[in-house]
Amino acid sequence: MPHRRHRDSSNDYVEPDLPITPMLDMSFQLLAFFILTFRPAPMEGQIAMTLPPAEQGGGFSIPDPTAEKPAKYIVNVTATAEGQIQSITLREDGAAAVPRDLGGDVNLYFKELQNFSEQNKNKPVKLTLEIDERLLQAYVVQLIDSGIRAGFLDISPIPSEVKNR
Amino acid sequence: MSHGSTDKCEPNMTPLLDLVLQLVMFFMLCANFVMEQTSAEVKLPEAIAAKALDKDVGDVLFLNVNEKGQVLLTPDQREGDTDTLDNAIQVQGYMGRQAALEKRKTGKDKPQATLILRVDRATPFEKTYAIMKGCRLAGYEKVQLRVIRHSGQES
Repeated sequence: MPHRRHRDSSNDYVEPDLPITPMLDMSFQLLAFFILTFRPAPMEGQIAMTLPPAEQGGGFSIPDPTAEKPAKYIVNVTATAEGQIQSITLREDGAAAVPRDLGGDVNLYFKELQNFSEQNKNKPVKLTLEIDERLLQAYVVQLIDSGIRAGFLDISPIPSEVKNR
Repeated sequence: MSHGSTDKCEPNMTPLLDLVLQLVMFFMLCANFVMEQTSAEVKLPEAIAAKALDKDVGDVLFLNVNEKGQVLLTPDQREGDTDTLDNAIQVQGYMGRQAALEKRKTGKDKPQATLILRVDRATPFEKTYAIMKGCRLAGYEKVQLRVIRHSGQES
């Protein structure tokens, strides 16, 4: 005699169903949004500088005769009306030589600075950039950058017009 | 008579979902969230010798300068309705007030914050120098010039 099995409702097997489709839809939408708005950030860097302290008025210091005088290179830069480099001249402070005219060649300027830096390897060296006020920041940074790469640690960009300093 | 299996045939979505979620996470982490203290209006110049940003620099004060030489004040830097400093006198006044605030807070005789100068590549040197002079007169000494780091290789 066949036994009829009584099904117990508490033992019903319910297959769990996690609806993945809406989640996948949303994920694709998010992915599309981020891909479309993705713009890799340019790598920012820094050039650390020190501003000279404000003029105190009347204060002065007696130079130390034993202190080594830094070798000083003065670069004069003129600009075109558009703010690009027109000419670069180099001279060593206190030297009798005629300033060297490099035209507008920044690579030549870099090589000259490298030579000067190598000649004064064991001496403190200072680079003063006398810059035409029309020169754009991109070129100012290019001149400072070349100076740092050539080995100068003390670089002062100042306006070429004395009255504006 | 057999009519074949009635089992449903479904593609396995789980690995696809894993991959998509990983991609979403990657793009979320790399997303360019707007930094409060920098301005997207400023296009920085490039430099090869630039160093990586120093995270232990202490107090900083951002100055974003556009190509006209105006200092663009971020919402937390604004004083009243003004959102730009248009000339050297305004910059000097603003920096003086910032320095006074900082000196009162720290109790020191000089402002100790480092200035972060983000100057647009098309700004004339005259304007940049005027801003630096204003900061110097206000007592600030440490400055970081922000640039885009360039590898030096032409692409």
